[in-house]
Amino acid sequence: MDIMSTFVGLSSVLTGFAQDILAPRLDTTNIKTLYLQSWTENITQETGDAGLVNTILQQYAELQAAGKSDEEIGEQLMNGNNSPAFVLACQKLIFLWYMGAWPDVNAQPGTETGGFTTSSLLSAESYTSGLVWQVMQAHPMGDSNYRYGYWAEQPPALSDFTGN
Amino acid sequence: MKNSTLLFSALPAALLLSACNTTATENKQATAGQAATTPLPVISPVIPADAQFHEPFSLESLQHDFDVFSWESFIALNWPAASVGVADTSVNIGQKPGAATVWQTYKESRDIFLPNGATPPPWGKDLPPPSVCGDQDLPVLNQIAKVPNNVLDESAEPFQTGPLVDQNGQYTRFEILTNDVMFNYIAEKNLYSKSGQEAFATEADFPFGTDSQVGSIMLKASWKVLGKNDAPEKFHTTKAYVYDNPDEHAGVKAACKLQTVGLVGFHIGTKLKGNPQWIWSTFEHVDNAPTQGEAINKKHYNYYKPDCTDCAAVNTPPPRPWNPGNAYTQPTQVMRVIPLDKPTKELNASYQAALEKLVPGSVWVNYELISTQWPTNADSKTDPTGAPAPAFLANTTLETYIQGTVRQTSSSCIQCHNNATMTSGKFSDFTYLLQRAQ
Repeated sequence: MDIMSTFVGLSSVLTGFAQDILAPRLDTTNIKTLYLQSWTENITQETGDAGLVNTILQQYAELQAAGKSDEEIGEQLMNGNNSPAFVLACQKLIFLWYMGAWPDVNAQPGTETGGFTTSSLLSAESYTSGLVWQVMQAHPMGDSNYRYGYWAEQPPALSDFTGN
Repeated sequence: MKNSTLLFSALPAALLLSACNTTATENKQATAGQAATTPLPVISPVIPADAQFHEPFSLESLQHDFDVFSWESFIALNWPAASVGVADTSVNIGQKPGAATVWQTYKESRDIFLPNGATPPPWGKDLPPPSVCGDQDLPVLNQIAKVPNNVLDESAEPFQTGPLVDQNGQYTRFEILTNDVMFNYIAEKNLYSKSGQEAFATEADFPFGTDSQVGSIMLKASWKVLGKNDAPEKFHTTKAYVYDNPDEHAGVKAACKLQTVGLVGFHIGTKLKGNPQWIWSTFEHVDNAPTQGEAINKKHYNYYKPDCTDCAAVNTPPPRPWNPGNAYTQPTQVMRVIPLDKPTKELNASYQAALEKLVPGSVWVNYELISTQWPTNADSKTDPTGAPAPAFLANTTLETYIQGTVRQTSSSCIQCHNNATMTSGKFSDFTYLLQRAQ
C-alpha cells in the first residue's frame, strides 16, 4: 500500500473532491504531505492508538480494491461497524481538508448545539488551500486569484472546483 | 573565422532547436563543477518560439526545460543587432561589447503611449529624446543604420515601492519594451490611447507564439550608471540619455545627461503557446547582491556594501522625497531573499561556460538566470493564475522591496500581472503597459 496515494484516495472519498484537485500531478503546494503528517500525529496523540490511522487507510484500500464505489466506501467508513474514534478521525480529516486547520471537538451532550469546535490553522498555505473556499466558489479572504471585476461575473461551476 | 555557433546559425530554426537537445561534440568541455562529459549548451541567435519539453514530466523537469528556454531567449535577445529586431549573425554574442542588442531595438514604452493618445510611430521608428536632452543623436554603434534613441526615463520600482540606489549613490534606471508582435497588436487595436481602449469591446489578448513563430514578448531592463568602483568590462553597456522625469515624482526637475550605463537586471515575458499566463524569465548581473543565508564573498556588489555599519536596513528604500536628480542618495543595501535553487545554479554555470568558450572574456558570463515562472495548470477553470511555479519570483533590481514568500504581497510575476487592466478596466492580458495610455 502506497501510503500517500491511499491517503489521497481516502481524502477524495471523504471530501467529495477529485484526487487530481487534492493532489495535482504538478503539485506546487504539496499540501497533502502536511495534512497526512498532521492527521497522523494528531490522531495518534489524541487517541493514544498508534495504529488507528493505518487501520483507516487499510480499510479504505481494501474497499477500494474490492471495487466499491466512492459512495459505498464513504458509507462503510463512516456508518459501518467502526469505532467512534475511527469515525471521528475521518471527520477530523474532512475538517482538515476543508478548513486547513486541526479541529478540537468539545462535546457537550444535552446542550442545544451538542458542543462546539475550535481549530488551529496549520499554516498560511493551509488557510488558502482550504476546500471551503472552493466549495463556496469563492476565494480566501485577502487572497484572491481572480481578476479585477470578477465580482460582477458568475463564478465557475461547482464541478470545476470539485473536479466531479 | 567561423565557429560552431555561426555554422549553427545558418540552419533552420527547427533544426537548430533540435540540435539543442543533442550532444554537440564541439561544445563539449569540462567546466568547474561539471562532469567531464556534460555537453555545453548551444549558443544561438534564434529566439525560441517554444520551450522543448522532455519526458517524464515533473515539476523539476519542466522547471529545467523552462529555464533552458529562458537562457535561449536571453542569449538571442542579447545578440548584437543588425537591424531593428534582427540579430547580426556575422558575429557572436559578446564579440561587440557595447553594441546594441536585438531587444534594444524593440519599441520602448515612451514611444508607444504618447501625449493625448497620439498615434505612435511605426515599428522601427522612434521619437526624438526629450527636448531637455538636446538634439544630439546617439552615436551610431555597430552596423545598425540608426540606433534608437535610448532614453531611460524611469527610476521607480512597481507600486511606488521606491527607487533603487547603487553604491555610488545613483538611482537605477528602468525601461520597458515590446517586440514587434506585441507592438503591432497595440497599434492595430488602437490600444495606445485611452479612447482606443474604451472603444475596444473585449479584453486584450496578445498573440501567442506557435511551434515556429515567436509570439508576444515584453521586456523590462534595469541599468546602473557606471561610475566609481564599477568595472565596465563586466557589464553589457550602452550610451543612453538618463532623463530625470518630472512626471515621476513631485519636485523632480527635468534634466538629461548622456551616460554610459550597465545592464543589471532583465525581465522577459513571453506569451508561449498554451500558456495564457505568459512565461516569466528574469536575469541579473552576478554582482548585484548577496543572498541571505549564503556567503558574502565578494568585495564589491552593485547594491550591497559588505561589513557596513551605517548602511540603510536591508531591502528598505531611501526616505522620501525621491528625486533621481539628487547628486547623491544613500545607497540601498540589498540582499536576495529567495536563493537560486541548485539546478538553476548548475544551468547558469553551464551557459556561462558556453558563453566564455564562445567569446573569452564575454560580458555575458556575468549574468545569471534567477528563475522562470510558469503556470503548472494553465487551463485551470478556477484559477486564472494557473498555479505558478515557483510561487514567488523577484529580481533584486526590479522588485527589490517586495521580495519574499507572502502571498498577494511578495513578488510573483503571474499573480501580480493577473490583476493588470487597461484604462477601461478591462483585462489587459498580464501587462500594466496599457495603463500608460493617455
